[in-house]
Amino acid sequence: MAVFDSISISGSGMTLHRKYLDAVSDNIANINTAAAPDQEAFKERFIVAQAVDYGSGSGGVRVAGAAFGSGEGKLVYSPDNPLADEGGYVRMPDIDLGTQMTNLIIAQRGYQANISAISRATDAYQAALQLGKNL
Amino acid sequence: MIADATMSTLHAALSGLSQRQRVSADNIANVNTPGFLAGRTDFESMLRTELADGETPTAGGGTVTRSLAATRTDGNNVDLDSETVIATETGLRYQLALSALNGKYDLLRSALRTQ
Repeated sequence: MAVFDSISISGSGMTLHRKYLDAVSDNIANINTAAAPDQEAFKERFIVAQAVDYGSGSGGVRVAGAAFGSGEGKLVYSPDNPLADEGGYVRMPDIDLGTQMTNLIIAQRGYQANISAISRATDAYQAALQLGKNL
Repeated sequence: MIADATMSTLHAALSGLSQRQRVSADNIANVNTPGFLAGRTDFESMLRTELADGETPTAGGGTVTRSLAATRTDGNNVDLDSETVIATETGLRYQLALSALNGKYDLLRSALRTQ
């Protein structure tokens, strides 16, 4: 058990939510990334969250890894695109912008919740550090 | 005389409250972790029993149980509203216990003053 445990636990939560934000940004940035029909489309990025020492020790959360969605995408008729096949189709990622925006807000609010947990913990620790100061 | 029942009780309370704050930080960190069940800390019931039995309270006797509240679709049951309330209340109670401890130290200090 570290001295300022609450802060590092919330820090792990911030890291996870930042990575979550990164993944969502990546998905949105590539929402219009076309690929040739015989290639895989951009795969949606997911972050795998895992509780550290669930129910026992130190607590916190860690990024267990990234997961990828399907590379299947969807075929879109776009004959002017240089990547289009003879039929005029390109493969676009099958990413839903509405879902991504929802995830963006979830990640952002999660990040903010961890920040306010840190400031509450800091207040308590500050008070503890003042113990016996004015004796 | 210095480490009397008041001190031990406050120490036990501070230890339990800091554990609750840690568990609350853990819950908030895992607010989006699928399958995570929120932890709940209880140190009051043990402290109450010890005081009722006339024993000296011991620090670090808090127990953590998993909340059985209804889960979301991802199997997580962390409720950010109640976590915020718990974390704020715990922080304030922690500071209250600390000022009580400070008051106790002040009292001792007055007794030690020679003039």
